[in-house]
This record gives sequence, C-alpha cells and structure tokens, in this order.
Amino acid sequence: MDQYRPRYRRLSPLSRRQFLRGSAGALAVPSLAAILAACGGNPREQGPGTGDGDGELYEIASPDNPVTLPIHDDVPPIEDGLDPEQGTTVQLYQWDAYMWKAVLSQYEALYDTQYEWTTFESISGEAAQKLSAGQVRADVFWPTIDYLGKMTATKLFQPLNHSYIPNLEANVWPSFQNPFYDQGWLYTVPYTIYTTGIGYRRDHISDEEMAEKGWDILWDTKYAGKVGVYDDYREAISLALLRNGITDINTDDQASLDKAKADLLQLVDTMDVRATINGAYARLPEDEFWVHQAWSGDMVGAQWYLPKGVPTDVLGFWFPEDGVGPIGNDTMVVLAGAESPVLAHLFLNFMIDEKWALKNFGWNGYQPPLTSLNPDNLIGQGYVPETLDTAIVREEDFGGGLFILEVTPETDSMWQDVWDEFKAGA
Amino acid sequence: MSETALAPRPSPVAQRTPSPGGVRGWLRDPWRKPRVLEAITWGYLAWSIIPVVIAIVYSFNAGRSRSSWQGFSLRWWTIDEDSLWRDEALRQAMVQSIKLAGLTMLIAVPIGVAFAIGIDRWRGRIASTANFVMLFSFVVPEIIVGVALLLTFLFLLQNAVQLGTTAQLLGLVSRQISYAVIIVRARLLSIGKEYEEAGMDLGATPTDSVRRVLLPLLYPAIFASAAVVFADAIDDFIVVRYLSGPASSEPLAVKIYAAARSSPTPAVNAAATSMLVASLVAVVIGFVAYRHFAREQRREGMSELTQF
Amino acid sequence: MRSDTVVDEEHTPGDAVTIEEPRRPGPPPGHEHATGVWYPRWFWPSFTMPAIAWLFVLFVLPFYMILTVAFGYVDPIFQNPIPVYEPWWWSFDVFNETLSKIVGEDAIFTEAFVRTFAYVAASSALCLVIGYTVAYFVARYGGHRKGLFLVLLIAPFWINYLMRMYAWASLLEGDGYVNDILGFLPFVEPRAWLTGEHITIVLGLAYGYIPYMILPLFGQLDRIDKDYLEAGRDLGASPAQTFLRVTLPLSKPAILAGLVIVALPMFGDYYTNDLLSNSPRTSMIGNLIDVSVYGQGRIPQAASLVLILTVILLVPMMYYLRSTKRATEAA
Repeated sequence: MDQYRPRYRRLSPLSRRQFLRGSAGALAVPSLAAILAACGGNPREQGPGTGDGDGELYEIASPDNPVTLPIHDDVPPIEDGLDPEQGTTVQLYQWDAYMWKAVLSQYEALYDTQYEWTTFESISGEAAQKLSAGQVRADVFWPTIDYLGKMTATKLFQPLNHSYIPNLEANVWPSFQNPFYDQGWLYTVPYTIYTTGIGYRRDHISDEEMAEKGWDILWDTKYAGKVGVYDDYREAISLALLRNGITDINTDDQASLDKAKADLLQLVDTMDVRATINGAYARLPEDEFWVHQAWSGDMVGAQWYLPKGVPTDVLGFWFPEDGVGPIGNDTMVVLAGAESPVLAHLFLNFMIDEKWALKNFGWNGYQPPLTSLNPDNLIGQGYVPETLDTAIVREEDFGGGLFILEVTPETDSMWQDVWDEFKAGA
Repeated sequence: MSETALAPRPSPVAQRTPSPGGVRGWLRDPWRKPRVLEAITWGYLAWSIIPVVIAIVYSFNAGRSRSSWQGFSLRWWTIDEDSLWRDEALRQAMVQSIKLAGLTMLIAVPIGVAFAIGIDRWRGRIASTANFVMLFSFVVPEIIVGVALLLTFLFLLQNAVQLGTTAQLLGLVSRQISYAVIIVRARLLSIGKEYEEAGMDLGATPTDSVRRVLLPLLYPAIFASAAVVFADAIDDFIVVRYLSGPASSEPLAVKIYAAARSSPTPAVNAAATSMLVASLVAVVIGFVAYRHFAREQRREGMSELTQF
Repeated sequence: MRSDTVVDEEHTPGDAVTIEEPRRPGPPPGHEHATGVWYPRWFWPSFTMPAIAWLFVLFVLPFYMILTVAFGYVDPIFQNPIPVYEPWWWSFDVFNETLSKIVGEDAIFTEAFVRTFAYVAASSALCLVIGYTVAYFVARYGGHRKGLFLVLLIAPFWINYLMRMYAWASLLEGDGYVNDILGFLPFVEPRAWLTGEHITIVLGLAYGYIPYMILPLFGQLDRIDKDYLEAGRDLGASPAQTFLRVTLPLSKPAILAGLVIVALPMFGDYYTNDLLSNSPRTSMIGNLIDVSVYGQGRIPQAASLVLILTVILLVPMMYYLRSTKRATEAA
C-alpha cells in the first residue's frame, strides 16, 4: 500500500546550481567553437561587399534606364557547336505547377534526356537564399526581373550562347527584343507575360460594379471573408499602393508605404483577408473566393479548375482601363555551374518554340510573348473564354504598364517590414 | 481472533443502503453507470477517428472534391495522371519516406539502446548532463530544432553535407535517439542488475554479459522503440522540410503539407492513407515482436544464464 | 558459483579436492576488497559515446549556430545571413530590433505573441477538460473494454498529424459535413470556419494534441487503487467529494506533466494555422518564424525569434525534465 500513499510534495524551485549543472553542457560549447574559428579580425570588416567603395552594388534597371547586365570573365558562356550532354538529368528550378508535364516529356523524348523539377515557394525567401549559398545545383531557373541585377552581380547566371537559341530572335515579339532589364538578351529568355489585376466571380459581382470600384472592391465590406491577396510582399503591397493612387510600385517613400500598410491591416481587421498563392486559379473557381488579386494567367488557367457543370463565364478579370497597372514577365536563365549547359540552352530554345509554347499555354494559361500567338485569335481558338478577354496581354500594354523592378536592399527592407506587420496580423 | 482474521471482508454491495427510487436516487447512486462520461468518451473517440476515416474514404472519390461524394473510383490511386501511383513525384516521395524512416530506425535505435544501457549504470556529473541533453532533445519543439539544423547545414557543415536526404537523415536521427532511449530505459528500470551479476559470477566477461544476458532481455523494448521510431520518422515534416534539398528528397509528409496548402486533390488523401498503412504495419510488427519476446522471456525464464 | 576447497581430513589427508574457480574478470590487484560486480571504468561510458557525439554535433552545436546567426550580420546584396563564430564580435542589432518588434514602442509582433499564449492556454484547458474526462472514464469504468479503448486512444499517435488536421479541415469546408450537421440542428448555424477564425485554431490545436494529454493521465489514473475510492465512500463521502479529495490530488503530477507535454509543441506550431486558416489574423509565433525563413529570407530575424522562443520555453521545459527525472529516480 505504501507506494500509493499520496505524496503532496511541493515542487522545489530549481536551485541555481542545479540549473547551471544542467545547462553546463550547452554553455560549454561556445569556447570550443571560438577555438575552432580562426582568430581573425572582425568578420564585419572582411565580408563581401565592403571596402568596395560606396558605389552601387548593382544597377537598378527600369524602362527609363535600360541596363546591360555585367559579364564576368570567370563565368564564360559555353562554346558554339557542342553536343548535348548524354546521360545527365536536366535540373529545373521552378515554381510549382507552372509547366505542363506532357510538354516536358516531349522535351525528354526529343533530346533523349531526363528532367528533374525542384520547386520553391518564393524567390525572396527560398530560391535567392539557396542559390546564393550554393545549396541548390540546377541548370535552369526562372527569376523575375527584380532579381536580375543582384544575381548577375553575384555571378549566379552564365551568359547565354545564342547560337543554341535561334527561336529567340525568330519567334519573340519584336518590341521585346531588347528589354530594358537585359539589353541584348545576355542572360535571359522570356517565358511568360502577364498583368496583375483582380479576378472575380461574375455570378456574384456584376461587371459594372467591378469596373466602378476597381481596386477598392477588395475593401468593400459586403464581401468580407471572400477576398484574397497574393502571399507575395511585392504584389500585395503594390495593390494597396495602387488603391491609394500611388503609381510608383517600387517606391521608397515611407509615407506611401505607411498608407499601404494601414490599408492592408484594415483588410485583416474588417475583411478577413487571406493571403494565398493558389486562391485565384484554384479556389476562386470553387467559390471559396469572390474576389482575389490575380495574375492574368491565373484567371485563364482557372477555367480548368471549375467544378463540373459550372460555365466559364462566371470568371471575370479586371485590369485598369487606362492600362496603368502592374505588368510583368518571367524569364528563364541558365545557372552558372550548370552540369548540363548545352541541354539547358536547348531547353530554353524548346520552351519558346511555337508549338510547345502554345501547348504549355494551353495548360497553365500564361501567355508566351511569341509572334505566332496572335492575341486577337486566342478567344476564337478556344484558349481563352470570352468573358476573360481582359486577361489577354497585348504588346501595346507594355507601354503604359507598371513593372515590379529591382530595388535597393534598404528599400527592400522597408517593404519587408510592412509585410512583417501584415503577416503578424498586428 | 483468528476468526475475524479469516472471515471474508463484508461485501460492500451487501452492506450499502438501498437506494431511494427516482431521479434523485439515480443521481445519488454511487454505483450507477456513468452515462455522461461514457457519452463524452465515445464522442471524443468519434471526433478523433472519424475525420481520418472519412479522409480515407474520400481518397476513393470519383470527383475532385474532398467534401462532396461523387461516386467510387480508383482514379486518385492508379488511374489519373496525378494519381499516387502514376505521378512520379508522389511515387518518389513514397520511396523517400520509407527510405528515410527505415534508415533513421536502423541508426537511431542502436545508438539509443547503447546510450540507455550506458546511462543507466553510469553515474556522475557528465552522465547527468548527457542525460539532461538527451531529454532536452525530446521536449524541445521541432521548429526550433528545424531552424537550428538548417543553419548548421547552411553554414557550419556546408562543405560536408548538402541539404537533402543526408541532412534530413542526420536531423531525424538526432530527434529519434531520445525516443529509443526513453523506451529502453523504462524497461531497464524494471530489469535490475541481478541477471548480469549472475552472469558475471558464472564467468562471463563484461561484454559477454551485456551481449548475451542484457540485450536479449531488452528485445521487447528494442523492437517497441524501433516501431515507434519508424512510425514517428515517417510522419515528420517539420525538420525534414527545412532540410530538404532537391525535389527527390521531399518525403510524402512534406508533399502532403505543400499540397494541402495549395490545391489538394484526393490524391493527397491517397498519399496520406498509404503513409497510415505503412505506420500501421510498423506498429503491428513491433507489437507482435514485443509480445513474442516478452512471452518468450516469461516462459523460458533466465535460461540464457545456463550458457555459462 | 564460488566453490570452496573441501578438505576432509579424516578420509583423505593431504588429498584435498580442489575445484578450479572459473576465471572471471576481477578487480585489479590491490582492490580485492571491492564487492559486487566489477566493470572497468570506461565500460559504461563507452556505450554512451556514440549518442553523445551525435547529439553534440547535431543538437548542441545547432543551438550555438542560432546564436551565431542571430548575432551575426548580413551580406549587403541578398541579405543572406553570415554567422559570426567568435562571441566577442557578436552584434546585437538584429536581435534588439526583433526584440523591439515584440515589446518596443512600435511593436508589431506583440499581438502574435499574446495571441499564441491565449491559444495555448485555451487549447490546453480544453485538452485537460476533455482529456481528463476520457482518461477517467477509461481508467475507472473501462472494464473489459479497456484494451479496445486503449487501441483507439493510441491510434492518433501513428496517424500523421498532418493527415488528421487535413481530414479535420476537409470537414470544416463551406460545404463540408460539419456545416451540414449544423444546418440540421435548430439553434446553431453553419458558418465559415476556415477564414481566420480563432475558434477554429483553438479547436484545431486541441484536436491535434489531446492524445498527448490522455495517455499520461490514463496511466496515472489507472494506477490509483480502487480501494482508496471505496474507502472514501465507505467513510461517507459522496462521489463528488471522493473525486475532489482522493482522485484529483493523486493525479496532480500527471495533470501538470500532461499540460506541459501539450503546451510545448503548441508554442512552436505553425502548420495548424497554415492548414486551417490562411489569414494573418490568427498567426502564431511559429508562423512568424516560418515566414521569416521561407517567405522573406530574413534568417537573422528568424534566428532571433527562435532564440526568444527557446528562452520563453526554457522554464516549462526544465520543469518537465526535473519532474520526469525525479519520477524515474523514485521508481
């Protein structure tokens, strides 16, 4: 019976000695690590990017300031006339669900190779970190244009040898031939073009109401619980800036950012907003969202996610009439240190081939900027439903559109701070 | 006097006062069946298990939805392009899950068993510190360990180990060692030192004594901890996600997490069901082995000692 | 068996039968007085060496890496973290900035921290109430069905946490079964569960971690001798009094241990939020860390947050470790 006698023992507080004894194991470590490290000077003074003078680390490209990306001697392009590598696996480093696997299988068959597709959730958080730390070995990568300066300055890409990519001059839009962010196509090949607007359900919101409210509709309390923005700090904050009429979506003005932040926080408080990546193409068709920030390609792709029996005319896409809204394009690059550079070049060429680019478009909804793709024919050919004609991107749109450009690290930090507060739901 | 000592204790049932009738009687009756408690218990069990059963059933849904049944179909298992069997990424993930869990088990259990045996007999400052660190690795939340390991592999060990399967394995084992230690130590506490001492008296060397006396006594616990480590490692997604490298190193748990956040199809349900089956198999094998060895020991007694 | 020299002087003088002692490792010369079993001094520690080495490199050092990155600096282009290994070069800028985001003037993380504490408190309480009820019932009244109950109670341990949460989320969808049932019942209405509702997160956390509470409670309650309860009743206590004055105090250690086991992982939880609510309104400390790593690449901030979280949890962790150590020593 003794062992069941209730013991009303009070838990004695940790005596300091007991606590230290227990943590002694952990605290003994720093001295070892310190010994391990070379007794050098202050690491802060020896790190990269310091003592370089106070010049810019990379040039900021914009439509008014076209930039020729730097070429480094120690990262040369591959030579002409090489044969594609045999027996290797082409490593693709991409967003998820952005390429049709059937098209990729065609590539495999054509060049007698295999591919492996590694995904990342964001460039700012994941891809940039892993690539610059050398933690990901890949052949082809899909940066957005706001990373080109940084990544070419740190020698992450290799210059392209255009002899392997004849489709570039042959197929791509002439107005796209010398883009401001990469004059001469030294490193990049365009992948898709898109605008960022608002996707909406036409069975709950009329076209007139949408056109009347524009960006404001995301703040309309009638639709609380049914609104969404992208889980991407540049896109979401630009949305808030544009709502306030601020068209500089690369601004470093703290006052503008504060206004945007206040609006975003209001979304959290009154609108039950959710930040997603798939909200536009996957969940809006399922009626989970009624309005969602949307890339044009997402809305076109949404038609394939509609449940059975729901007609495609419930999908709508709004973009400002005057064309002053975000526009952009994704690019493809070959990474420095690629194991299969020739195959990588051929892959780039393959993806802007008329036939395969069109097939890919038929699956993910994102337009490639190819001359063979006449925007006026897309509806007739059944790629885009009639009600989504605003989601079609035309060459002229690039004139008035706003690009998400690269910014300095200081500006980036300001934007990140706004995003911190939004995501913490303060 | 002896009579009272030998007399059977009066039965409480016979002695209780007859309960008054009616509702008040029912409320006051101390022997009544606890219907409310029982209802709550069954309610909890239903809440706990039924969603999983529904998720398994919906992996056979003919439609895309996870909440509206559209008929029975195997499309998410074998037929569709995106199905568990045909989608190469998911298949690879299944293989990776089993590979990681199996290797983790093979590495963590021996190390853990050895540590448990050693720490049980060894006293002293260093011993208690080591034990403390071991238990600490058990209670600390995984996100802390995950981020810490990510930093270690990104910076300290970046030349030795790349993010990917090796890193995931190393990270998983550090966590699972403590599971094995805890289970084996519990068993060790009940074994005591007599058997080894008997063996030594019969002429066994220390290593012999451990190998041929102690270890067989521990087989039940060893198998139990192997099963637990396998089932736990196959379900891990926090540490493994932070340490994953190329796509081929993402196990099924991470793929389920990614898919559940984006656009889940019932293929995710199918993947989760298959992981459940794998864990179940491991647990059943471990349980059967445990019973087998435990029963064997009860039956045979300490016949190991006759070897000497 | 130790054998003695047998001498029978009557029968065989000078012809003593000696049985050779079997050779056994013994104390070295000079220590023959040592009693019991002799093991060399390095014997048992050598068993622990693999684990110690492993844990040192892959558990202790990573914690040091957190310090080196939290107190390190960033490269100017990508803002990648650069760890500083020597403590005398450590810079506390990022750490102070993160700390001020929690408790400073323009704190933006305070709500998330407070919210996490609130969620953990509410969920733990829920876990305790439901868990204790179930454990009590199964321990006291389980009877011959105890085995079945135990199997059902243990099942969640080898079912993937993600799968359970994902299954639960499927039921909570707008057209899911929960809302279907609520539609039937008279006094409640279907509602949106997955758009950033606090109640969903609390229920989700409780759903995920109740099994961790039930098993220790059951173990303890099962061990309480029924004679005590009968004695209490024989002495005239009502069932409620018996419970309050016998059962409850006996199960107090298990309650505290269970609360800690359940609360600790909840503090680091971020995936429940990701699966049950995409809204920033319900974000927890774990989400702050996860976003800092994956969403933004602000790793020094993530390391600082991890450090702060570890310090916050240090007290409950130490308490739990001391109480289990004491329990094993007592056993």
